[in-house]
Amino acid sequence: MIDLEEREVEKKSFFRRLIIIYFLFGSMFIFFLLSIYSIQISEFNDYEIAALENKTKEVLVQPVRGIIYDRNGAVIVNNIPSYDLIIKPWKIDNFDIFIKNISSIIELIPSEIDFVTENFEQKARYNRELILKKNLSKTEIARFEVRSFMFPNAFIDERYSRTNNYPHLFSHAIGYVGGINNEQISSILKDQGLNQKETIFSYSNGFLVGKTGIENKYDKKLRGLFGKKIYEVDARGKLVKLTNYILPKNGDSLFTSLDLNSHKVAYEKMNNRRGAVVAVEIESGSIVTYISTPSFSSNDVSNGISSKAFNALLNDPNKPFFDRAAQGRYSPASTIKPAIGLYGLEEKLIDWNFSINDPGYFILPEDQRVYRGWKKGGHGNVNLNRAIVVSSNTFFFSLAYQSDIDNLINHLSNFGFGKNICLDCFNPDIGLLPTPEWKMNNLNFGWFKGDTVNLGVGQGYLSATPLQLAFYASIVANKGNQKKLTLVSNQEPRISENLPFKNIQNLDWSNLHSSMIGVIDDTEGTARRLKKLKNYAVAAKSGTVELVSTETKEEYKIIRKNKGNRDHAIIIAFGPMPDPKYAVSVIIENGESGGSVAGPVAIAVLDSLIEK
Amino acid sequence: MKKKLDFRNFSIYFDQYLFISITLVSIMGLFFLYSASQEDLSAVIKQSIFIGFGLLLMFAVSQVDPDFYKIFSGFFLFFSVLLMFATMLFGKEINGAQRWLDLGFFTLQTSEIIKISLPIYLASYLYNKPLPIKPKHTFITLILICFTFYLVYRQPDLGTGLVVFMAGIYILFLAGLSWRFISISFGLIILSMPFLWNNFLQPFQRQRILTFLDPTNDPYGSSWNITQSKIAIGSGGMSGKGYQEGSQAHLNFLPEAETDFIFAVIAEEFGFIGVCILLSVFFFILLRCLYLAFNARDRFCRLSIGGLSLVFASTLFINLGMVVGIIPVVGMPLPFISKGGSSLLSFYIAFGIIISMATHKKLMQK
Repeated sequence: MIDLEEREVEKKSFFRRLIIIYFLFGSMFIFFLLSIYSIQISEFNDYEIAALENKTKEVLVQPVRGIIYDRNGAVIVNNIPSYDLIIKPWKIDNFDIFIKNISSIIELIPSEIDFVTENFEQKARYNRELILKKNLSKTEIARFEVRSFMFPNAFIDERYSRTNNYPHLFSHAIGYVGGINNEQISSILKDQGLNQKETIFSYSNGFLVGKTGIENKYDKKLRGLFGKKIYEVDARGKLVKLTNYILPKNGDSLFTSLDLNSHKVAYEKMNNRRGAVVAVEIESGSIVTYISTPSFSSNDVSNGISSKAFNALLNDPNKPFFDRAAQGRYSPASTIKPAIGLYGLEEKLIDWNFSINDPGYFILPEDQRVYRGWKKGGHGNVNLNRAIVVSSNTFFFSLAYQSDIDNLINHLSNFGFGKNICLDCFNPDIGLLPTPEWKMNNLNFGWFKGDTVNLGVGQGYLSATPLQLAFYASIVANKGNQKKLTLVSNQEPRISENLPFKNIQNLDWSNLHSSMIGVIDDTEGTARRLKKLKNYAVAAKSGTVELVSTETKEEYKIIRKNKGNRDHAIIIAFGPMPDPKYAVSVIIENGESGGSVAGPVAIAVLDSLIEK
Repeated sequence: MKKKLDFRNFSIYFDQYLFISITLVSIMGLFFLYSASQEDLSAVIKQSIFIGFGLLLMFAVSQVDPDFYKIFSGFFLFFSVLLMFATMLFGKEINGAQRWLDLGFFTLQTSEIIKISLPIYLASYLYNKPLPIKPKHTFITLILICFTFYLVYRQPDLGTGLVVFMAGIYILFLAGLSWRFISISFGLIILSMPFLWNNFLQPFQRQRILTFLDPTNDPYGSSWNITQSKIAIGSGGMSGKGYQEGSQAHLNFLPEAETDFIFAVIAEEFGFIGVCILLSVFFFILLRCLYLAFNARDRFCRLSIGGLSLVFASTLFINLGMVVGIIPVVGMPLPFISKGGSSLLSFYIAFGIIISMATHKKLMQK
């Protein structure tokens, strides 16, 4: 047994030791309280955000693209709802039985079943929807709706498709839309201050951007702003509830200057021939007609087309995807003559009384080379007026011969040749305004006087797009006053500029207009066949683009057996005179005669624009 | 024995401070559990049956004279070791650990019993040994401690094993282990650390410690628990998100929200204020135990009260330290609050014994 004294020692030792341990625990307790304090109070904000991020999942909601109107308010491009069958995989216990049951109501094709089978597991795990079948027919919708009580795990919902009401008329001017890759989506979302994440698509085809035309140029305006559905999620990423829904801001509507009626007329008149029609409202500089044929259905391309059909379009020898209006390069041919005439007047090389004898050819003094006119035997005595009416090559060869090439190039450049003259066209080609430097750099040849002479009749290296030709026509029509072209009317007001001419008077312009009216109205005019097609005065200049250089009509008859060698028909026109409102350019590839082939199209388009 | 027969002197043994504070913590626990279990009423009812039963058990246990525990402590320890062996042979395996014995109406975590029976046995073994404790007795004690630790550790259950080990060491220390022995063994432990690391810890345990020391080194994602727990606690702020409003707990970000990490749920929903209130009750219980230990009737009772209260304190601090990331995740319930019958009942028994030891006085000695 322990004695009393030892008991006291033991007691003291016990107390001391217990106090030591309690003291250790006490220090731990304080340390613990301090760490709790630092977590809960000092670092509260960080942890609060972390907790919020944990439980929050944002799903983007795609906005619907803006509607595109013609200049009279007719809807051209709209978003057409289609009805898709959407399933809720997490509510489906047995996938095979479900597919079997639903197949008995709505026919499914293997690719649809494959797609759903592939994605089913993953979507089920996270409470996400899955589109089983797109674009249900009315019968399918009805069949499903009456049996919908059998399928609490599926529903029909609206998804849009981007639809052009006139898919062939505007396939180049307005263009088409299509999907983009993830990187591009990221950059679009970044513009809106968003990160890429799961998105609820309003379109059956997912995210769409404008690929060509106005859809592309005004993509940002048409696109709208993404909305957000903010969900509470659990640790496994399962959606628990919708906590907030910020509605998407749909894209702005776009009011274009395009005229539906003139498109219909132009498209019909072109009748699928290869070519282009561009018409411009002179005063505003707005493009009212913009057609490239043959065309394709922009809807097919926008909303999904089989790769076979797409390849067929791509490999079509008529190149329906090629935008001839803005990208086709054509020699202006004789349509350049009014501009060359103006050059002669500006440089005082000629006046309206100046005349030469046209024997049907021009001989270049330097090398005795012969430059032929289109009419054997020539036009006899021609002044500027007659040279335009009958389209005398000799007159303009000799005028060009006298000109300084740099001045001439500068003069032509004022009319938009070799420049981009459209503010909002999709990928416009600038054509080619050849200079001595250009020739040296690209063809390794010096500039010959003969090149200048060829420029005088719009042949040779010079090329322009139908858009540039319409612009050029509008400047001539507007007596040298120019305004760059636009497709969308609600642009900021643009200042029009007068061309920097010193010696050209209003009278010169009036005379030129009269000559160009004479192209149609004069009995000798190259487009005199158009006279009976119209009810008002129209100024025009036709042209024939030689693809193969021939010396005689007999030679041409041989080469024209191959349709691809036939001359292009070309015309520029404006009217009604004397106060022209619209200028138009028409090109018909291998159409041969500017006046009688391209001319009727131009007149019909002017009619459709003027006679509302 | 006399007392029980003498009905005039019949008295009940009761410590109202401990009884009230433990009842308070238990009821708070039920309240927290309802939220942490995502409003699982059946879990709460089951837990409340344990609490009711546990409080009765505590009362019953405290009526028994300490001499009974002293005399039968060897039997209790032997019985608990038997249970451990039974667990080893017939135990239920959950998540790769074999810790539970299925008794039909109740799955018993047998290591919870040994953490009580070991310190009491050691107290009964050491209470009459002269000071300082002789090396012979020290070694016998240590062998016993290591043996029981190993039984628990191999289940595997490192957390409870450590508590059992510490419970033994507390008794040895309080009983008067020589300071020289303490300093020598400390040195030896530090020297043998690398050996222990390589041979005694399971790879996942090593990973937990490594992750704890360097959270960026986390190939198995074991810091997820700590990260989510800290987010839950931190986002509670000063006054919490409100009852049943904890997003971390209710959206399953917090692992083991009903058991090991229930403190994080409390901190998330009631904030720093709630934490302080809860901890002050726990603190009060510990201080009351200290007071009772000082006033116990003899050395056996002192050692038992000290040892058992330190088992409680260790469990508490291992849980709290783990939840805030001060110590590695070892798996440890929050006493009286975490879901789970074994841990709950073992603490009621432990406090029953503490009350018994503190309230039975030897009148003769006064």
